[in-house]
Amino acid sequence: MAGATTLMTRSAKRQVGKTRATTESKFVRGMLIGVTVLFLGLFLFMPLAVVFATALQKGIATYFASLNEHDALAAIRLTLITAAIAVPLNLIFGVAAAWAVAKFEFIGKSLLITLIDLPFSVSPVVSGLIYVLIFGLQGLLGPWLARHDIKIIFAVPGIVLATTFVTFPFVARELIPLIQAQGSEEEEAALTLGAGGWQTFFRVTLPNIKWGLLYGVILCNARAMGEFGAVSVVSGHIRGLTNTIPLHVEILYNEYQFVAAFAVASLLALLALLTLVLKTAVEWRSHQQLAENEPNWSTAIA
Amino acid sequence: MSIQALDITKKFGSFTALRKVTLEIPSGELVALLGPSGSGKTTLLRIIAGLEFADSGAVRFDNQDITERSARERQVGFVFQHYALFRHMTVFENIAFGLRVRPRRLRPAEAKIRAKVHELLNLIQLDNLAQRFPSQLSGGQRQRVALARALAVEPNVLLLDEPFGSLDAKVRQELRRWLRQLHDEIHITSAFVTHDQEEALEVADRVVVMNEGQIEQAGSPDEVYNQPATPFVYNFLGNVNLFHGRIDNGKTYIHEQETGHVVYVRPHSLDIDRVPNGGDHFRARIKHINAAGPLVKVEAVTDWGALVHVEMPQERFRNLQLAKDEDVFVIPKDVKVFHALNLERSELQGIA
Repeated sequence: MAGATTLMTRSAKRQVGKTRATTESKFVRGMLIGVTVLFLGLFLFMPLAVVFATALQKGIATYFASLNEHDALAAIRLTLITAAIAVPLNLIFGVAAAWAVAKFEFIGKSLLITLIDLPFSVSPVVSGLIYVLIFGLQGLLGPWLARHDIKIIFAVPGIVLATTFVTFPFVARELIPLIQAQGSEEEEAALTLGAGGWQTFFRVTLPNIKWGLLYGVILCNARAMGEFGAVSVVSGHIRGLTNTIPLHVEILYNEYQFVAAFAVASLLALLALLTLVLKTAVEWRSHQQLAENEPNWSTAIA
Repeated sequence: MSIQALDITKKFGSFTALRKVTLEIPSGELVALLGPSGSGKTTLLRIIAGLEFADSGAVRFDNQDITERSARERQVGFVFQHYALFRHMTVFENIAFGLRVRPRRLRPAEAKIRAKVHELLNLIQLDNLAQRFPSQLSGGQRQRVALARALAVEPNVLLLDEPFGSLDAKVRQELRRWLRQLHDEIHITSAFVTHDQEEALEVADRVVVMNEGQIEQAGSPDEVYNQPATPFVYNFLGNVNLFHGRIDNGKTYIHEQETGHVVYVRPHSLDIDRVPNGGDHFRARIKHINAAGPLVKVEAVTDWGALVHVEMPQERFRNLQLAKDEDVFVIPKDVKVFHALNLERSELQGIA
């Protein structure tokens, strides 16, 4: 019995890639796990619980009433529209940029890589301000836009622009290492077999990067729907017109409508949870695919 | 279909991969491009395939200039070093790919595609694995699938980049023979790149030895092995002993110091004896003996401190009963002398 147990723990340990030499004592292990759990509970789980608890404080009816209200519905609609435009745009930009960076050598390549990361390194408020400075009434193109009656700042186009900017790196960043790692041999093989550019892309490249692409899109979407800073600057906070979900939450909160604020905020929290589930599923699937790509010698016969 | 690569020059930045290389492959021939890494052999192959474009020079198939044509238009079968199988497609779909991507009016009917793929699967003896994915195959199987995929489009020429490079020794042997047989059956003009001299000599009709972006020698395996045109070829094809030498009055002398000439002797062209035997010889002391394998390998040190490798048949070794640290006479049977400066070949004479 005892022998069997040792054997089991040993093989289980090996699975996590540990040997006796790198295993800590029980006390240290317990401490590390304890600290992690405490931290997660305090800073992640509790706030999440508070969001839902406050949202449902006055019952389920009030909860749905706060969502089924004109301004809230408008905010949800605007958020969906924004994501529906920004995400596909970044999907195309991301694939194109990743392709260019991973497959070609050109002058200014490192500059391009740096620029792709710019939205990550710059404060969202600054990103918003850039657009105000370009498209705002006092901005560079402001007078011209005003003369032609085109509204970008304090209107939907501005929100879409700011969101697209902020979420730009997600897809590209995800794909560059993936495409680089896969090399271009499969594409070259497709070419020599007579496939054209589009055929090669849709039949060879896309299937190879689809999980990474989906992963990038999920993260991109989560950020697009949840973006506050940049959108706040360009939106103008016009109720029912230019408020996205995060902005609507802020307004409700500032007006002491806590239940309504948390009810709408719970939508974002749900989105976050859904994103996590999808993200995990995709990660699991792409790991599986990676494992499939490893040679499996048990089934291989020379 | 014959292949001509004329005056090909290719640079990658400041590195010159090929300098004015001209290579002709007659229709139906199987040619090996042999050389160390960095010799330009893969670049030459990729330029013929249209995967790389030369800075200057021309490529012709059957005397038709195709220098400007893309890889897609050249209709070459290319087998990549790491197979480059489409990892998300089954073996069947991998082989069918070239037929499926054809423009609609040229695309065979589904039934014809199936027939063709199964014919090829039979050829590579993998018909039972049609529904497997590349990851479920061994290296040798993948290589055969890659070959079948290249052949499916009925290419004008077949080009293989280090086709057996990443396989273990035994599978390599088998596939080598199999490729030779296959070529004897279908007679497609083929070129393969390799850094393994044994592979080149065994499989190819003609061996093209490359070094530093140039062709050192092109000829039958027998020619390049037995009549090397340059010291590099001598060195690269098989083991060799090098001595400083001097030619005087029609005789070759081995010297201790740097001279104008280099003397090349293959280990199996040296014999060892206990008595000088009247012929040309020099003295050496045995340092190491390796008797595993068909030939016994003996390492000896000459009077002037140079290391000499000698190979002799097992029988001869047993008759001599050689032992370590024994002083013996080394007798050259066949030597080649190259001028060290301009690498010209000099006439072989005796050794004093």
